[in-house]
Amino acid sequence: MDARVDKTLKITTPSDLEIAMTRMFDAPRHLVFDAMTTPEHVRRWLGCAELPMTVCEIDLRVGGAYRFTWRSPEGRETTLQGVYREIVRPERVVFVERILMPGFTSDEYQVTSSFADIDGTTRLTTTIRHNSKENRDGHLNSGIERGVAPAYDRLAEVVAGLA
Amino acid sequence: MPSDPLSTTFAALADPTRRAILARLALGETSVTELAEPFDMSLPAISKHLKVLEHAGLISRGREAQWRPCRIAPVALKAVDGWLGGFHRFWDENFNRLDDYLEELKANQAAKAEPRTKQKPKKEKQRGRKSR
Repeated sequence: MDARVDKTLKITTPSDLEIAMTRMFDAPRHLVFDAMTTPEHVRRWLGCAELPMTVCEIDLRVGGAYRFTWRSPEGRETTLQGVYREIVRPERVVFVERILMPGFTSDEYQVTSSFADIDGTTRLTTTIRHNSKENRDGHLNSGIERGVAPAYDRLAEVVAGLA
Repeated sequence: MPSDPLSTTFAALADPTRRAILARLALGETSVTELAEPFDMSLPAISKHLKVLEHAGLISRGREAQWRPCRIAPVALKAVDGWLGGFHRFWDENFNRLDDYLEELKANQAAKAEPRTKQKPKKEKQRGRKSR
């Protein structure tokens, strides 16, 4: 396989309210679509390596709800929950979603995912639309503090290399 | 005041406002006014933070335009990528796991479609695997 697909994740901000992601997958789009919308599949890949998923429910129909919960070893739960607005298998899915954490519930944002067939591989384009720039930026920077320690370590290496 | 470059860098990064400024600049260059917008701070206060960041070599400020655009230095960009990361890293890691899982699904599907024809020999996994 020399004609590998470029699996780089690209994230852009097309407007003040939006985040756009594109990513190629080396699989037909019905598989990618199903892997992202079926609980037994979603369980296998969505989440953080350190956090077990404790709830994974999907009612895949327009108006149907879904809920994903992860629990940290200390018992802190993070939940993504939403409602499907549009489902066109295997082309497109639109839903509204919010993030729930102890002491924090985000405003709702809308997510549109399109699955384009590129010679048997799939290009996923996801657009996340927030109701304000502050919320958009907050989403983009989520984990900013959690990631600081490893970033410091990397920075230390880079700076040491410059000296 | 710390004098070695590493301490200067770390001191500059110790402040959450300055980290937020870097995170914003990782998205592209911008003016001081625009940078100041999300913060409940005066322009002079923001300018002070910018000076610290500039002194630490984490950002540079253009001379070409009157609005002196701020941009992130390549060194800082690497670090910011790590913590801006929350979002990027989350999806990057997840999509990498999804890649592996899709390979499994494809293999299952192929096995179902053609149960008797096994043209693809299992990957040479057992080869060259001595002891751990």
